[in-house]
This record gives sequence, C-alpha cells and structure tokens, in this order.
Amino acid sequence: MTDQQSGRQPGRRQVLRGGGALAAAGLGGLGLTGLATLTGCSGSGGTGAGGSAGDPRKGRITVWSWQGPATELKALIPEFNKTYPDIQVTVEDIGNPAIWDKITAGLAAGGQGLADVLHIGVDYLPGYVERFPGGLADLAPLGATAHKDAFAAGLWQTVSPDGKRVNALPWEANSAGFYYRADLFEKAGVDVGALQTWDETIEAGKQLKARTGAHLLGIDKPASQPDAANFFQMLLQLQGAFYFDLEGRITLDSPEAVRAMTLIKTMNDAGLVSNLAGGWNALMSSLKRGTAAVLPWPTWFGGIIEEQVPGEAGKWKVRLPPAVRRGGPTAATVNSTHLAVAGSSKHQAAAWSFVEFALTRPASQVRIYRGKGIAPALLKAYDDSVFHEPSAFFSGQRKGEIFLDALKAPSPAVNYTADYARALKLVTDAQSKVLLKGADPAKVLAEAASELARQTGRKNVR
Amino acid sequence: MTPGATTTDGRGGGGSRAAATPAPSPAPAPAPARPRRRAGRSAPYLFVLPALLLFAAFKLYPIAWSFLLGLHRTVGGTETFVGADNYVRLADDPLFWTALRNTGVILAVQVPLMLALATGLAVALDSTLLRGRPVFRLGFFLPMVTGLVAYGIVFSVLLNEEYGLVNWLFGLVGVDPVPWLTEGMWARISLGLALTWHYTGYNAVILLARLQTIPAELYDAAAVDGAGALNAFRHVTLPGLRPALLLTTVLSTIGTLQLFDEPYVLTGGGPDNATLTIGVYLYRNAFTYFDFGYASAIAYALTVLVGVLGLIQFRLLGEKS
Repeated sequence: MTDQQSGRQPGRRQVLRGGGALAAAGLGGLGLTGLATLTGCSGSGGTGAGGSAGDPRKGRITVWSWQGPATELKALIPEFNKTYPDIQVTVEDIGNPAIWDKITAGLAAGGQGLADVLHIGVDYLPGYVERFPGGLADLAPLGATAHKDAFAAGLWQTVSPDGKRVNALPWEANSAGFYYRADLFEKAGVDVGALQTWDETIEAGKQLKARTGAHLLGIDKPASQPDAANFFQMLLQLQGAFYFDLEGRITLDSPEAVRAMTLIKTMNDAGLVSNLAGGWNALMSSLKRGTAAVLPWPTWFGGIIEEQVPGEAGKWKVRLPPAVRRGGPTAATVNSTHLAVAGSSKHQAAAWSFVEFALTRPASQVRIYRGKGIAPALLKAYDDSVFHEPSAFFSGQRKGEIFLDALKAPSPAVNYTADYARALKLVTDAQSKVLLKGADPAKVLAEAASELARQTGRKNVR
Repeated sequence: MTPGATTTDGRGGGGSRAAATPAPSPAPAPAPARPRRRAGRSAPYLFVLPALLLFAAFKLYPIAWSFLLGLHRTVGGTETFVGADNYVRLADDPLFWTALRNTGVILAVQVPLMLALATGLAVALDSTLLRGRPVFRLGFFLPMVTGLVAYGIVFSVLLNEEYGLVNWLFGLVGVDPVPWLTEGMWARISLGLALTWHYTGYNAVILLARLQTIPAELYDAAAVDGAGALNAFRHVTLPGLRPALLLTTVLSTIGTLQLFDEPYVLTGGGPDNATLTIGVYLYRNAFTYFDFGYASAIAYALTVLVGVLGLIQFRLLGEKS
C-alpha cells in the first residue's frame, strides 16, 4: 500500500531514510565501494623490493600485454621453453587501454591478482613506481644492470632514474616519424625530401591543399583521446623539451612549448588540419579516405598503415620529421614500452628469466619485429638484415634504417614524472582551446602550467 | 483502529498478538509460549543476517574506509593524514566546479525534457487507439538493455563531424555539418540526445505501469463533468502519476549526478571539459592520476549533493497527495 493510497504523508523519518538511501546509492552506484576496497590496501605495494623471489628456472608465470605485442610474446613461448622447460608461461591479452586500469587496480590492492610480468608504457611507468613503491620488483638484484648499455639512448634513465634500482627493461623504442603520401605531394609539385623545417612544411601544405584538396595532417581537435597531444609532444621533443624537466619541475609553458603550439595554430588557421574528433576510429577513416597527406606518427605506425591500406603500396614514403628550428634535431624517441615484474610475484626470478629472454636476445626481438613491426630498443637487434631490407610498401625505402638512425641520434632522457597524466589532460585542453576557439598559445599554456602547479605542488619554471 | 480489529484473519501485528488472543479458549501453558516468542523474535534477524554481513563487508566498510581515505593524501607512496585538505582543495578546484556546472546543466535541461517525453510516451503506449502496443513498448525499452559502452561508441560514430552518418544525411538535404562532438554546446546536446535515447523508454515503462493503476471510473467521471482530453490529463492522469513521477525524477537525478559512461565514451569529458561530469572527474583522479584521497573527497561531496537533492525532491513532490 503506498502512502498516497493510505492517505498518509511521508514523515520526516521516512524522508531522512530516503535521503540516506540516496546517499548510499550515490556511493554504491559509482563503484566507490570498489575504489575504497582497492585503495584500502594501497601504499604497501606488495613484497617485492628485493626482486629475487623464486627459482630462475622453475615456476608458473603469467604475462599481461595487449593485442599485437601479446601475440608476439605468445609466439616466443615454445622457443623459451627449449631453454627453460620448467617455466610455464601464460600470456594474456588484456587489451589497451584496459590494461592500465587493471594494473592500477592490482597495484592499489597491494599486488593482489597481478600477473608476474607486466607490459607498461613510458607514460604509466613513473606513476606506478612513485605511487606504489614496491609494486614493481627491482630487477637490479636479478642481473638487469648488466644490460644497461644494450638499449637506445636515454632509455636506461627511464627505467632506472636513480641508476641503481631497475624498475623494468625497455622493449619498444619508437622514434618520431613522418609518413607521407608521396603521390599527393608529387601532384602538388612538392619535394618532401627537401623540407627542412616545419615552417617550410606549412608552406608546402598550403600548396598541397590548393592543388589536391588534401589536408596536411589531422589532429583530434576536441581531444577525444589523450593521443590528441601526440603531435604537440613530438614537436616539443624535437626541441629536446617536455612537460617537466629532469628535476620534475613544470616546463609546460616554456618557449619551446609555445613555439610548438604556435606551429599547430598556424597550420590550423591556414586550414591545413583535418579534424580527427573521435580519436582512433576517425584516424583510421581519414587514413582510408586519404584526407591527410602526412601522418606524423612514430615507428610503430608504419605497420598500421600497411595493414589498413594495403592497396596503396608504393604511394607511401617515410622520413624523419622536419626540424622545429632550422638546423635543429629531426630525431626524437617519443615513446617506449617496457616489461616489468610485479613486486607481489612469487616467481620473480622465473619472470625475470622470461623478460630477459624476450628483451635482451636479438633473435627474440627480430622475430617480434618480423611479426608485428614492433621496433626494439635493443640496439643489437638491428644487426639483422630485416631492418635493412627495402620496403615494397614504402616505395623501396629502407624504413628500418631510417628509424635506426633516429635511435642512434642523441636523444635526451624524458622525465614523465608521476603527474604526466594530469599534465597531458591540461595540454589537450589547451590545444582544444587553440584549435577550436583560436586561443593564444602562450596564454593557454601559461594557464595550464599554473593549474598543473596548483594541482601537483610542483614548481613552475618559466 | 483497535488492535483487535486487525486480527480477523489471525495475523495481527507482532506487538498486539497476546492482546488479540480470543479469551474463551483454554489458556495455553505460558512456559512453552515464551521460547517460541523468543525464537520468533530472533528468526527474522537470522534470516537477514547474511545480507547484513554482506552489506557491512562490501558496502559499509568501504564507505567508511573511503571517508578515511578522503582525509589522506599519497605522498611518496604512503598515505599521509591531511585532515580536510582534500575538501579545501575541492572548493578551490576549477575543474570540480566545471564538472558540477556541467552536471547541473544536464540535470536541469535533459531530465525534465526526458521525463516530459516519457510521460507523453507512456500515455501514447497506454492508448487503446495504438495498434501493436507490445511491439512499441518493446521498441522503446530496448535501448535500456543496450550495453552502455556499445551505444556510446555507436553514437560517437553516428555523430562524428566529418565521417558520421547524421552529418552525411544533413549534407544530402543541404544542411552544413554540425560539430556534434567538437563544440561545447553541441557536445552537451549530443550527450543529452544519447541519454534521452537510452533512458526515455525505461522511464516510460515505469510511468506506464503506474498509469494502468488509475481507475477508469475517474476518467468516466471527468468525462461526465465535461472535461476534455487535456483537462482529464491534467486533473486525473498527472495526479495519478505523481508517485511514479517522483520515483523517476529521483532515479534520474541520482543517475545524472553519477553520470559517467556516456561522457566517458562519447566525448571523454571534452571538448575543453564541456561535458566533464563529476563521475568522470572522480574516475580520472582515482584511476588516471592515482589520487585516491582526492577522488574519495569528490565522492563524498557528490554523496552529500545526491542526499540534499533527494531530500528536496521528496519535499517538493512527495508531500502533496
């Protein structure tokens, strides 16, 4: 019987009860209870500071990775088991970006439910290390330091910021690339090989737009995904700059950052930037429809182009990006991924055996490169002929050599810090303001830098 | 009402059972009655105990822990007590206020529109003039069972400015492309459209259920009194729907305040935070920035907000009978 049917009005107590129920619903519905349960154990981060648990030749380990890399790691298992017959490996494809939430949840729960080996991007690694001390095992006692000089420049500092503790081992090293539709530029009468700076590229883009109708490049203007800032970040790194300096101070509105954002604004104001709102799907649609002539993406993206538009073999070429300032660098390692061992793993030594097998043996890395075009950080792997073969898709160019040159070039270490995600959000917001509302780059970046300082307590260097 | 009056079927209220026992029958021995009464008292508690334990373990404990967490901040990997700092920070956080404002706009605009639409829909689905009513009812309820992420992705594809179906159709009739997801106001409208598509049928079904309990005699009486369709709707249908309207309003308010899936999938909270909701901001702080203490503080602010709004709605809608 309802209150109305009985002719009664809800009393104060019932109203309060209703409010209480709503409040509980407010918590429950948001999954806060889960959040609290997870974080209830945070801080301790597991057992593994030592990184020496278990037998290096025996155990059952699980590996978390995503899509292509997971497939390649799975393919390595039979070979691995020839050397380590008593280590049983299970590779799980968690998916990207789902893997980040899953690792975060596991680390926050003190390592509960985490796999033994974790595939982690450079954008997450410092955050995990700082927020969950001991969440990742120290690989130094297991022998990681012996491989210190085996990887591309700058990467050891990423995995071992203090030079002692080793949080992970580098796997992929992606250099900034400049994939372009050679046929479109040819039609527009532009010699892409001769473009030395981005200013020259913008002028070429105007010619390209006028003669072919194609945009120079595309950006996810409303920043549907954090990837939207990839191009800005590339322009920053081509100047040896980043959101933070090596001391962790904020450099978000440095002259280099303002220069990078101004270049983007100039391109956009000239009508050269196609809008890739929606992120990845829009990027793939644009690629298939050929609406932009340049894809300023790193090494790994070459494989995606070949996969998505196989019919355009011979129309594509690749080079390193033009410099931001005349005579400046054209090489930058813009991102990397790594394999880490969970601090909570009971088989850390066995997990390390797998990590070492996969990442420090050229044969493993060559196999992975052949399978999915994943560019290794391991410099010795590049001795293999596969990196020096002409590519039929990229007009007979030796793509592997182009990126190898970039990896060998001096590349300053990049300090992502634990606050990279916050910085990235503020950057993408600033870029959206510039691209969609014509805001002044210097002003929005200064605001973003101040806000980042307020949120993180970090010092702002101007 | 006397206690005895309720015992005609022998199922009186627990407290009045002894008083209602018929006098003429031989008095039963008092000794066995007592243990039975005691057992009768504890039995309900035993029955609800498993649920209570589960509730305490998986709801109460995390709620309490979340409150404690809101008083801490992670510094160098350890939880440091900071008192009300997270709440002070919240008051001074422009993004929190942006999220609150966005959520408020959706609440003020989308929820009333959706409920008005749902009411109209419920009346239409209840009308005997409509043929094949079960098919329509099913059709309008189907969006509710669609996976949130799936429909979010479908909407983001449909509404894509350059490659979306909607703008392509607009182009066929000579309408310029609409920046559905790339301009602040349109992004909010897109979000509202997606929410309306998803939840209108659900609310209509609740209202429809209530609608069917309104006695036909009331409409007959209204007709005899000379009331037209509009007056009958105003004076019979709407008052009859009041409890269901209260329910749908409160549920929609809670749902809107906790809004997460749609903006997360459709716009990622953008462009430039135009569709950032409190739920998305909370999630980001916890799982992207690993700032669990601050996320807990946001959660508690949200809880207070939900409670206060719920109370207001109960007062405004609930007390008039």
